[in-house]
Amino acid sequence: MKELKFALYAIKKNIQSSAELRTSFLMNIVGMAINNTAFIFLWIFFVKSVGIIGGWTIYDIIALQGFTAVCFGIIFSAGYGIRKLADYVASGAFDRFMLSPKNLLVRIATSSFGVSALGDIVFGIVCLGIYAFLIHATIYQILLIALLVLISTIVFLAAVIVIYSMCFYFTDASSVTYGLFQLFFAPAMFHGGAFQGAMRFIFTFAIPSLLIGALPVEIVRDISLEKLLLVSILAIFWFVFSIKIFNRAVKKYESSNFMTFGQ
Amino acid sequence: MKEIRKKFRLPTKILKTLIKDSFQYPARLIIDTFTVIGRCGVLLVLYWSVFRLNNGVINGTTFIFSAWSIFFYFSFSTLRLREISKLMMEDIQTGNVEILFSKPISYLSYRMWWQVGSGLYSFVVVTIVTSIALILILGIPSTMTFGIFLPSLVLTFICASVLTLFLYSIVGLLSFWVEDINPVFWIVDKAVMILGGSYLPIALFPPFLYKISLFSPFGASQFVTHTVYRSWQTNWYQFVGIQLFWIILTGLVVYFMFRKAKQKLSVNGG
Repeated sequence: MKELKFALYAIKKNIQSSAELRTSFLMNIVGMAINNTAFIFLWIFFVKSVGIIGGWTIYDIIALQGFTAVCFGIIFSAGYGIRKLADYVASGAFDRFMLSPKNLLVRIATSSFGVSALGDIVFGIVCLGIYAFLIHATIYQILLIALLVLISTIVFLAAVIVIYSMCFYFTDASSVTYGLFQLFFAPAMFHGGAFQGAMRFIFTFAIPSLLIGALPVEIVRDISLEKLLLVSILAIFWFVFSIKIFNRAVKKYESSNFMTFGQ
Repeated sequence: MKEIRKKFRLPTKILKTLIKDSFQYPARLIIDTFTVIGRCGVLLVLYWSVFRLNNGVINGTTFIFSAWSIFFYFSFSTLRLREISKLMMEDIQTGNVEILFSKPISYLSYRMWWQVGSGLYSFVVVTIVTSIALILILGIPSTMTFGIFLPSLVLTFICASVLTLFLYSIVGLLSFWVEDINPVFWIVDKAVMILGGSYLPIALFPPFLYKISLFSPFGASQFVTHTVYRSWQTNWYQFVGIQLFWIILTGLVVYFMFRKAKQKLSVNGG
């Protein structure tokens, strides 16, 4: 509870700090929302050229972008510090986090705020709203959407923790973590109906890309409780696994004894 | 002769230094290779199943042409030319631009050659390795065996690199006026991504989108993706002509923006 209070306090201060530069703040949010519409147009053109694949329509593409944008936005707005972990480790600024009495992961994650990710949240919510309207979603489906946003956010957080924990193992951590993140996130934004057979298995169980977008869309569309149970179990597994990986990775850190006063 | 050698000294020095630097980070090369294989590979497998479900032909195109087109896009992206915008923004925000302006070299030349050098090693190795893999797995489309293919590919590649550098330099130079150019960068980058034939091969474009891709600078910067199609053999000079037009236009914009930026620059000493 104390850690949560601290996290919320840190996020509030970060938002206040970011919002001081009003124009930049708003431009980032609006720019990111516009940026994200590109993927919708891309996959709409795909569906128009190729037709319906795996039962996926244009509505499902909108929902896919909604789910991925919301979970990306939540984690990389409030927890943007985790994206900077490679820089902290390389520059020696990680020392001050280890000396802090707060939970290490919470402290790192809330050390910075990603303004542009608010644009992702806005875009994602609008997409999910439009999807719910287009499919005439029932109350049950709307509640499912809300629950699945929470579950996909947990999966996304877990994946991000695992990926950015790799910076403790590599010298050129920025490139490594960037590549790993692209490997995870890029397939999450692809047309979900095109993932069949072995590809679906790999990107569900080995790399949890489909858990944050494609599977939630199919759960809402088909009201599939089996898939909901599967996604929930995998989310819990990935979260526990990610914490273990992070704690193990931190033990590899060696201080450079740089004198820093925070970034 | 001396003057010519002088002109080439800066780029050769930068390229040599950065390529040597690249040798020190083998992990970066491995990651770049896996990133291309991961992103491009997943996309190719998806399109393979999509083409299979559509009896092998979509919009008069078969999978092999689309696969090589998508591969050329991702291969070109390993050059990382687009990152020149962010480097320029960092130079300006940190004040590093003052030091670079005081050097007896052109800031723009320095930045552009730096950007070429930082991605060149990865680009060459990744392209060779993944090309060989693609040839072994898929084979080569017939259009790539014609005599005009290689020379026109090289020419288009050079024009595409120059145009990409100019386009993203325009975005980077906006940092002299706008505090945070990231929103502009995202919009330009997405335009290049869509119109360049990244996730959706250009052969699958609807007619109006194909026209926009053909005549816009964003699409022109990725004309390497057009080289595998049959239309390239007869129309390649038109594509190169469009690229040259945009190179001249964007080059002039860069020139005048940079001139204005130098006048606007004020350094807060400390």
